[in-house]
Amino acid sequence: MVEIVAQAVINGLLIGGIYALVSIGVTLIFGVVKIVNFAQGEFVMIGMYITFFLATQLGLDPLVSLFVCMPVLFAIGVLIQQFLIRRVLGLNDLPQIFLTFALSLLIINISLMLLTPNYRTVHTGYSDEALHFGGLYVPVAKLIAFGVAMLLSGVLWAFLRTTDLGKAMRAASQNREVAQLMGINPNRVFAVALGIALALAGAAGSLLMPFYPAYPMVGQVFVLMAFVAVVLGTLGNVAGALIASLLMGIAESLGIQFIGADSGLIVVFLLLLATLALRPSGLAGGRTR
Amino acid sequence: MKIAPRAIVAGAVVALLVALPLVVKSSFALDILIRILLFAFIGTAWNLLGGYAKQFSLGHAAFFGLGAYTSTLMQIDLGISPWIGMLAGGVAGMLASLPIGWLCFRLRGPYFTIATIATAQVLMLVFLKLRDFAWGAEGTTIPNLGNAPLMMQFDGKAPYYYVVLLLLLLALAITAWLERSRIGYYLVALGEDQDAAEAVGIDVPRVKRDIFMISAFLTAMAGTFYVQYIYFIDPNTAFNFSISIEAALVSIVGGVGTLLGPLIGTVLLETTSALLQSWLGNLAGVQVTVYSVILMAVILWRPTGIMGFLAELNARRRAKRVSS
Repeated sequence: MVEIVAQAVINGLLIGGIYALVSIGVTLIFGVVKIVNFAQGEFVMIGMYITFFLATQLGLDPLVSLFVCMPVLFAIGVLIQQFLIRRVLGLNDLPQIFLTFALSLLIINISLMLLTPNYRTVHTGYSDEALHFGGLYVPVAKLIAFGVAMLLSGVLWAFLRTTDLGKAMRAASQNREVAQLMGINPNRVFAVALGIALALAGAAGSLLMPFYPAYPMVGQVFVLMAFVAVVLGTLGNVAGALIASLLMGIAESLGIQFIGADSGLIVVFLLLLATLALRPSGLAGGRTR
Repeated sequence: MKIAPRAIVAGAVVALLVALPLVVKSSFALDILIRILLFAFIGTAWNLLGGYAKQFSLGHAAFFGLGAYTSTLMQIDLGISPWIGMLAGGVAGMLASLPIGWLCFRLRGPYFTIATIATAQVLMLVFLKLRDFAWGAEGTTIPNLGNAPLMMQFDGKAPYYYVVLLLLLLALAITAWLERSRIGYYLVALGEDQDAAEAVGIDVPRVKRDIFMISAFLTAMAGTFYVQYIYFIDPNTAFNFSISIEAALVSIVGGVGTLLGPLIGTVLLETTSALLQSWLGNLAGVQVTVYSVILMAVILWRPTGIMGFLAELNARRRAKRVSS
């Protein structure tokens, strides 16, 4: 019994690392640009397909394609900020919500047309490897994904704390007007925020590929998780999103273990609804906006 | 003076809609017309909450599904006519909107939207699990009784057309009445600025709750109609996310917070989709790709939708007439 719980916790924690990459992106964009990116999951999907094609066409290891995915998605993020999101800033809720929502629908359905709904998988040398500790086992591919996810989160943390640009981003997220008065160029900051957030989503795509199939709707799973994590971890709070993602990975995994294979999402959604009922400002406290 | 010509136009349009099945006999064309009226109906129901109060729900499938399941369960388990089931379903949807609203209205803006998505998803997952009570994932077919108007089953498609036309007219009448009533002004005020509305003494939570109940009631009725029309129900049909999406989409494209916006938006989107389908066949993804491009174009260039565009043209013409 203890072993089953421990195994479920390990599985959940490892996938929670991936959720963290997605939710940190969502919360970063929300904190800095004040937009909820409904399309964040679709950039994970794009990352997965890039990794898939690099692996099947050029034989690149998914971990190597990380270095392709992240810059490519950073560039896409900057372009999306410049050509789409910039045009709805300062407008009311409707365009701000439905612009990225439309983008999400568009990317999913173009992928459906071009790539078909088929599942694509990449098999690497370490896809089936696992480390054993007593009765517990830790799949290597997931462990690597978790490690890299935590490393990237740490790098982002350091970036936001120590660099001028990172500080400018935090300033812009705390008070846009004052930040602007202090000489911070909001557009540049927003573009970088979008770029970083999408690069993280792309990284999640690469890291997932050795053990998770790619298909056009795959992003939906991750974006729903991310939304819950972001509410749970207090909107706009990077550390909160990270911790909440790990907790949700564990909650989902326990739900699958003890309620049934298709019940992971129920647990997560109930967690969201319970949070709304009991602590609408999120676990870290603070304002709901 | 101003009301008379408007009433004549409205009467003429309704007469045209009533006469349409007398001319259009092809069941393919009638099917498209029924889809248009159905989504115009759902869109009009969504528009009450999303358009006037600016609470952008993407979870209206919750009520659609509850309406569909309520009437189907009553029909199959108890033999009660779906006509009564439709009202019972409306009440079920309305009651469900209370806890859902209680939870979701705690959040504003995009996070309200996300919370509504979650509630609809939870309901779908719950119905997938309810194997003994509601057939689980397999769903069930609705027994075909032939031509049984009392059980909302008809031979041809024309009667279905009239049923959904009546539903749409009902929703439009409610909207038109609300537009002129006190609650209509409250809605517009809170849609503009919730805090300001509260400051001038509007009971914002109550107004939101009331309009959500009406919107949910109507959406649930659409659910009953739909499963009676296709003779089949399963959680994936009844709670499909695409219902929530299309409800919002037709309203935004047509023009949120306008009486006829959802209808006009549906006509545009559904005709486009029908044309695409006859041109390209049933290629996966094409329809929604086009929908999302239209949605994006509307958001970037005309956030007030087609109705806003028409109003602008009208104002420009009037200004020209005054100056000349």
